Amino acid sequence: MTSFADDPCAKCEELLQPFLDRELNDAERVEAEAHLSLCSYCRKRYRFEEHLRRFVRQAVVEEMAPELKARLAALRTPLF
Amino acid sequence: MYLGERLPKPFARNSEGRSSVPTPEENALLGWPAMSETTPDTEARRLATEARDRVRFEEDALALADQVYRVARHLVGSREEAEDLMQEAYARAFRSWRSFRPGTNLRAWLLRILTNLNIDRGRRLQRTPGLEPLEEGDYFLYNRLEESSPDAPDEERVVERLSQDSVVSALSAVPHDFRDVVVLVDIGDFSYADAAQILDIPIGTVMSRLHRGRRVLKQQLAQEAVGAA
Repeated sequence: MTSFADDPCAKCEELLQPFLDRELNDAERVEAEAHLSLCSYCRKRYRFEEHLRRFVRQAVVEEMAPELKARLAALRTPLF
Repeated sequence: MYLGERLPKPFARNSEGRSSVPTPEENALLGWPAMSETTPDTEARRLATEARDRVRFEEDALALADQVYRVARHLVGSREEAEDLMQEAYARAFRSWRSFRPGTNLRAWLLRILTNLNIDRGRRLQRTPGLEPLEEGDYFLYNRLEESSPDAPDEERVVERLSQDSVVSALSAVPHDFRDVVVLVDIGDFSYADAAQILDIPIGTVMSRLHRGRRVLKQQLAQEAVGAA
């Protein structure tokens, strides 16, 4: 594992995914934020990753056909 | 809908407001064996409560169908498969609704059923061959896109170089094991812990597959966008 002391940008890159997933612990998050506030190289890449994720999420949305919804509703247990 | 109207009425009361079924006291007077704790009235109430809980469960599950479908659609290769899987999963969910614990995550519970059915279908056998993530950092897609454009654009414009179709095809090129996790976390917005439960794998495996899956996705996107990998 890299550390912020050895190679801050490499460490920041390592934390990119869990940072955006909100899965870092407080200490790691504070360290990453401190580095991001100083480093535009990493900041740009973090922002890109955020945009990319939003873009991916929106790009792949395919709505369910209304007929399928009706078929699912028809699977309900009859009341008697 | 008023449930009472649709329920059988086996214990209708007569005109004096008395139940047509003997009370426990009457049973004792008549010398009939006492029924266990369940008198017909409490049994009717239990049935009515159960019917009400079941209806509520079914309504909640159906209200989540759009969100479940959005995830299901990318766990499998085609719309038809996703539709079949949704129907199978909902049929099973409605049958085993009693095993859902109210107050827990119903959307995760439904997707757990759905992914199990998907695995039962033997889909795991048809693995996508060959695609292993590059041993490159997480910044490489940005770096590639930035390199390939002459006037160093800002982060938002870089994303705009990707098309919607390229994202869909890039995602479908990610091998199943990695893709399941990417789809659950990035499209379904599940936590690592939820994804681990849905797929019945350790949380560490979720993290490593997610990491690798996202890299393969980026590798594919880089190929689509700038022909570099």
